[in-house]
Amino acid sequence: MEKNKKEINLEEIHTKYRPIVSFRVRKSLGSFTPDWEDVVDEIIINVIEKIKKGEFRGESSIGTFIFTITSRRIIDHIRKKSKVLKHAPEPVAFPDPHLQIENKERAELMAEAIRKLKPKYREVLYLYYYKELSREEVAQKLGITSRRVSERVNYSQKLLKKLITK
Amino acid sequence: MKKCNSKVQIDDYLFNRLDEDKKEEFEKHYFNCPSCFKKMAERNELIAIVKSKGQTIFKDEYIAEAAKGETWLEKITSFLTPRQWALSTVSAALLLVAIFYVIPNLKTTTPQFYINEDAFTVRTANNKITLISPIIDMKTVQSKFEWVKLERENVEYKVYIYDNGDMLWSKITKENFVVLPEHVKLRMTAGEKYSWQVKAFSPEGTIISISGEVRFKIQKSE
Repeated sequence: MEKNKKEINLEEIHTKYRPIVSFRVRKSLGSFTPDWEDVVDEIIINVIEKIKKGEFRGESSIGTFIFTITSRRIIDHIRKKSKVLKHAPEPVAFPDPHLQIENKERAELMAEAIRKLKPKYREVLYLYYYKELSREEVAQKLGITSRRVSERVNYSQKLLKKLITK
Repeated sequence: MKKCNSKVQIDDYLFNRLDEDKKEEFEKHYFNCPSCFKKMAERNELIAIVKSKGQTIFKDEYIAEAAKGETWLEKITSFLTPRQWALSTVSAALLLVAIFYVIPNLKTTTPQFYINEDAFTVRTANNKITLISPIIDMKTVQSKFEWVKLERENVEYKVYIYDNGDMLWSKITKENFVVLPEHVKLRMTAGEKYSWQVKAFSPEGTIISISGEVRFKIQKSE
């Protein structure tokens, strides 16, 4: 318990948790929500304030502490929006279209790398991610096991990493 | 890096396929597990690229699928002998007689239409598709279109969104909801009338049930 508390480094809140908080906020609100970055800033500031005030007592991990604050802030945001919209914001479409345009060059590199994959890896990505079939459906279609589908997806990702960092 | 069992949930989380409890549990987990978060961020990027650039990336797969269709037809035609062809022609004729003369004279269950406060339903035989939301005019375009899942298993639902009768978008899913992509939402404008409908298909591709077509309008802001 006490160990959790002693390890807190305020710098780490920014470097380590900001990307995680951002991901969670964007997933819930959508990056087309103009103020999603403000929400992230508020959460980070709130976390730091609470730690400074001694409200983090180490009863849970710092990750869970930040998760709770993030979830509450997201709910507050949705409640406020719901009053204006009359409908609660809906789950964000996946993939978030605004996310794709962030790093066009990298996206092009990745697309090129996928084109270079062996057909057996590319067809799994095509069926599983592009056509959104379930693991079992892909397995059935290709005459392999579901486990092999997951292995091919994971292996494709490793290959892609290698290809784009060359 | 330590192997973590929660990694199997990454895809389901990203595709919004986890129920609320599992979703929360997984979110709490990735706040505490840098390895899972890293893997999820990478997977998120990969899926986003596959979805946005898929048409150009998977040209070969499209072609292969089309070719498969041709060979299937070719296989059938070359597979049957003249005697089998004759037999299948007779069977087809009998089937047509059954469809046009026998079935129309059988007593069938007519679809029942009813509207209640929060749902719109069309029933056929023992199956029904009840549209949950949206069923009324809305102030802004809502993303989630939801209906009640049929009780039988392995049902594929095809959702249609119409713009004044013309099809605007459709999607096949096994879930009981779809999330409208942003580009479709952007094509829906205030003051216009839209409608939506869901059709259910068996794994063999036969239609099981059709929902009513629910009309809605996006209200102009005052």
